[in-house]
Amino acid sequence: MKLIKLFCLSVLSLFFSRVAAQEFKLGKVSIAELEQKVHPKDSSAAAAILYKKGSSRIEYNQNDGFVTVTDVETRIKIYKKEGYDWATHEVWYYNNPNLSEKVSFNDAVTYNLVNGKIEKTKIKSEGMFDEVLNKFRGQKKITMPNVKEGSVIEFKYTIRSLARMIREWDFQTSIPVNYSEFTTYIPEYYTFNSQQKGYVFPKVTVEKNSKSIVLNSKERVSSGGFGGGVTKTEFSTDKIDYMETKTTYIAENFPAIKDEAFVNNIENYTSSVQYELSMVKFPNETIKSYSTDWNSVAKTIYDYDTFGPELNKTGYFEEDLKTVLAGKNTTDEKILAILNHVKSNIKWNKYTGYDCDLGVKKAYKEKTGNIGDINLMLTAMLRYAGLTANPVLVSTRANGIALFPNRTAFNYVITHVETPEGSVLLDASDKYSVPNVLPFRTLNWYGRLIRKDGTSEEVDLMPKKSSNDMVFMNYSIDAEGKVTGKTRRQCTDYNALITRDNMDGVVQEEYLEKLENENNKIEVSEYERKNEKDILLPMIETYTFSGNNLCEMIGGKIYVNPMLFLTNRENPFKQEVREYPVDFGFPFTDKYNITIKIPEGFMVETLPTPAVITMEDNIGTFKFNIVANGGTLQLVVSHQINEPIVSTEKYEMLKEYYKGMVAKETEKIVLKRI
Amino acid sequence: MKSPFFALFFLLFSLISTAQKSDFSVLGIADSLKANADAVVRLDKMDIVITSQRSMNIKVQRVVTVFNGTGLSDIDAYQGYDKSTSVKSIEAIVYDAFGNEIKKVKRKDFKDQSAVSGSTLFSDNRVIFLEYTPVSYPFTVVYNSEIESSNTAFLPQWYFLGGYAVSIEKSVLNVTFPNNLGFKKKEFHFSGYTINKTLDTDTQVSYVATNILAQKSEDLSPSHRDLFPRIMMGLENFHLEGVDGTAKTWETFGKWYNEKILTGTTDLSEETKTKIKTLVGDEKDPIKKAKIIYDFVQKKSRYVNIAIGIGGWKPMLATDVDRLGYGDCKALSNYTKALLQAVDVPSYNTILYGDRYKSDIQSDFVSMQGNHMILAIPNGDNYTFLECTSQDDPFGYQGTFTDDRDVLVVKPDGGVIVRTKIYEDKGNSQLDKGVYAIDENGNFSGSISIISEGSQYSSKQRLESFQPTEKESYYKKYWDNINNLKLGKIAFSNDKENIRFTEDIQVSAISYASLSANKMIFAIDAFNQNTGNIKRIRNRKNPFQVQRGYLDTDEIEINLPTGFTIEFLPSNYELKGKFGEYKTEIIKKENNKLLYKRSMFVNKGKYSNKEYDEYRLFMEQIARNDNAKIILTKN
Repeated sequence: MKLIKLFCLSVLSLFFSRVAAQEFKLGKVSIAELEQKVHPKDSSAAAAILYKKGSSRIEYNQNDGFVTVTDVETRIKIYKKEGYDWATHEVWYYNNPNLSEKVSFNDAVTYNLVNGKIEKTKIKSEGMFDEVLNKFRGQKKITMPNVKEGSVIEFKYTIRSLARMIREWDFQTSIPVNYSEFTTYIPEYYTFNSQQKGYVFPKVTVEKNSKSIVLNSKERVSSGGFGGGVTKTEFSTDKIDYMETKTTYIAENFPAIKDEAFVNNIENYTSSVQYELSMVKFPNETIKSYSTDWNSVAKTIYDYDTFGPELNKTGYFEEDLKTVLAGKNTTDEKILAILNHVKSNIKWNKYTGYDCDLGVKKAYKEKTGNIGDINLMLTAMLRYAGLTANPVLVSTRANGIALFPNRTAFNYVITHVETPEGSVLLDASDKYSVPNVLPFRTLNWYGRLIRKDGTSEEVDLMPKKSSNDMVFMNYSIDAEGKVTGKTRRQCTDYNALITRDNMDGVVQEEYLEKLENENNKIEVSEYERKNEKDILLPMIETYTFSGNNLCEMIGGKIYVNPMLFLTNRENPFKQEVREYPVDFGFPFTDKYNITIKIPEGFMVETLPTPAVITMEDNIGTFKFNIVANGGTLQLVVSHQINEPIVSTEKYEMLKEYYKGMVAKETEKIVLKRI
Repeated sequence: MKSPFFALFFLLFSLISTAQKSDFSVLGIADSLKANADAVVRLDKMDIVITSQRSMNIKVQRVVTVFNGTGLSDIDAYQGYDKSTSVKSIEAIVYDAFGNEIKKVKRKDFKDQSAVSGSTLFSDNRVIFLEYTPVSYPFTVVYNSEIESSNTAFLPQWYFLGGYAVSIEKSVLNVTFPNNLGFKKKEFHFSGYTINKTLDTDTQVSYVATNILAQKSEDLSPSHRDLFPRIMMGLENFHLEGVDGTAKTWETFGKWYNEKILTGTTDLSEETKTKIKTLVGDEKDPIKKAKIIYDFVQKKSRYVNIAIGIGGWKPMLATDVDRLGYGDCKALSNYTKALLQAVDVPSYNTILYGDRYKSDIQSDFVSMQGNHMILAIPNGDNYTFLECTSQDDPFGYQGTFTDDRDVLVVKPDGGVIVRTKIYEDKGNSQLDKGVYAIDENGNFSGSISIISEGSQYSSKQRLESFQPTEKESYYKKYWDNINNLKLGKIAFSNDKENIRFTEDIQVSAISYASLSANKMIFAIDAFNQNTGNIKRIRNRKNPFQVQRGYLDTDEIEINLPTGFTIEFLPSNYELKGKFGEYKTEIIKKENNKLLYKRSMFVNKGKYSNKEYDEYRLFMEQIARNDNAKIILTKN
């Protein structure tokens, strides 16, 4: 399945007709706005953005050169108490020696309707806060005074930045947006990439205007040669003309965005526009280009001191690696030996980032590092061992899908190795990750592989191989309905990774208690694990169990769900309407082989009938088969989902599939006395 | 001359090195301490030196061996600070399993950030903490810090055992104080632990505890405050943000709080006073006046917590709240008090622990306690308590956050300890009345009215503010026993006067009953199944408690499909015991109708660890009967 279909990726479609921006002015709150009790299009809305108007302007300033000034004005209506959170706003800013930004809030006023008259309450300093977040960032916060149900609040803020950076503008949020307008003003010297995402898009207009900069300068000029002449100060005024591109985005009546279960990251579906600087060209200067497409993004990143050069350092590990590689001949052996070496020696400090934080050398020495430190080191070691290894830039699930080519689209890096059997992806930051089974956080659409020469290509990150969960179970039922049996559960790939993660750092007694409580309070004994540390092999758990409440005795008959505590009792898809795709993360197969011994003196009255449910496009199959053979029943069930991501059009089918599966699995065997 | 020097040097050197190795290597840790432990605290030592009423120095040394990722939280290498508390030094050294030093973390490598969390909008409190990525387990962190503070109102509370799944090799507390400040202490839950008071004079006190084994966290346990050994400490003469204070008796403490902290905070503008008087009109009854004012405050204000300087302890001025329309619990309580004053209704600031878990102000230990403030209005011999941070709570309702606990009511002539409202078990009720029908295909359709009162009201009241999608997922979870549930009309009525919340809901579901061959089978109790989800716990050690009792009563009419006859009907059932009473009854009516009656009463109570399994079985018994099935055969 091609994931790209899920996103209405639009390349900027430009309307050259003039769309008249609506007239909004701070301070002109109407009685109608104050009187409104519910949002006309979304009666459940606790608040709404009546209008939000912003501009980011790159302008010249004689002291600092070109700087970015962002102005935002907002008017928000509060309908209900649950909307009071909208009375508080915060804007972060960079505050460090490399980049300092200034944020100021102004004209923050709350409007209420009191006896038919508009009452204004202005914010004062006590409602404004400046907070140091960390070494790099600060945050300004305001909280509006006198907010009640029905209030309208307004404020504006300005961000002044010495850098040419335009912040992302969201046209949607968790409440409805009636009107959102964003305008950028960019001088011809700068070229930005702008990209929009989401399910709904604003209208765009572009126009070009001529602008000029007036430079006042003074210069000491000597007349006459050899220093003998008169020196005087000359004042001059230069006027430089240039073209400025003005781009306006207008969004009207965009609905609130609401999170759903099984959604990768809701941010992926929020309507927004992002800008990234791609090129700088001043007259009589060479062109400086940044990322304009995925290839140049990759190249730019590769050229960072904290990326490419780190891959070339080898001295710090050479000695150790000789020992690690001793006696390792095949590619697979080498890959595993190196992966294990990095995993066991350098621990992840929980910071992401595609480039190095400490630097590979220091990270190696201190035995800890960020993702860049760890996986670039891994790549360098694999290259040192003679393998074709390359870094792959990744955007984690939490970071959202890397939709547009820019440097900030990625926040993570993994390693790709070419082997005669095909390509292998590695991540040394997770102790249970094995080749081609990466931590869940990285399973996010496509990554970008960068070769030594700086060229790059797309790499599919979504797992193709099905992760298995295979259960073999034997149990017998006695005449009182008590069940005793044995279970053997074998998990591979992602299921093994998840199981090992669940076991990690949990005392066995606690683990068993959880196992018992999550499975109809069975009593577990003779519990054993196989391959817990042998992570290349399937994870196997075996145990003996007994349970008093697994069968129901009704009118002298025994009713039992043949899968006992393994029965899927609930359809996880409860929503009536689905807005966004369902994301399972990886394809999987759950398989159950169950042998049931019925008690002496009983016979089968009814058995569930065999069933098969399949979904279109080979998305998934459920099979259920049960046969009786004397006092023994043999049950084989499989539930297989082949696509990690299922689109919204197929939601109804998926829901029906799960409904059918749950109905079949919850059908009971009825045993009666002979 | 040479040799003794060398010998001495060598001796010293070897002493130091072996001391280090033996101190911080994990080899010496007793197996008993390692059992069930994610971490072992080798040493937890606090030296508190109070030099005067306005000056206190605290040194902390913690040596913690961590065995796994969960144990990282036991390192506790952090220190909060603010304008009146400064961190003089802070450092940590990490040792590997053999006691070799692997990392030294200096102050500049600690993280330093704002201590703003959750509901706090802004605070000038900050925190310095250690962020360390373990390179292998086990490892040991030696943490040292020293702070100095001018606030002596809150002496640290000393826990010999800080949490679950951690064991303590040695825990030491040393306190030094001038003999004229009225130092006091109180010991809690020492029995069963090896804790020695090694010093107890009029200027010094010391405790040493050794070998406290790791404990497991178990459901329904009392909070660690009520289980673990701890010491409360306080000064009769203390200092808080520039103000000297006294806490000899609740009376003097209350007076001090009134005079030094509250005085001058309840002024209001004449305009507001006039407005409030007009609002109250001719009403004479103080409680009715209070109701009008409470409603006014609820509509006007919202909860915003800003903790700056003494603002952390002193309420914002009532005039500010009046203008801004927001504040924290102190500010909003105080504002309500000011408005009540304007119409001559007395009311008192009330300090308590706000928590679902009932926690008392320690009545025999006069000191700054509590984490929340409400308002008490005298009402006959009792008080009516107002939760001023809520925009929804009915007047005088105490739900589950402030009910049934000892609180400090600060009256102008001194503080008094009072018990807040106790909601009787049987008053915490849910009354279900409904009807459902099953058609010949096993499909379900029905409607129900659910009336909740008492403490059950508080869990239902919030439904009103839910978004449609939240309502949908709430009911789908509430009735997770009904697969394929579809919700029809949902209507609520919130009777704040009588504190009664009613839900009227229509539901349907396809294939509620399972059909096999010519039989139909389904659980008769569709609307109120107790899942009996009481965990099985191996070797339970802690006592357990049911904090609030409740009574559920159901009366459901069931319309069976035509063309079927009843093959099996669950029999009537009754269960009585120390935990409560449960009863179900099914009455056959004409026209294929059944009437299902159920009542379940659970009383509040405190029980021993031995009784836990009995309780679990009691609840499971109920769950099983709630899931009793009816079988129909097709004619």
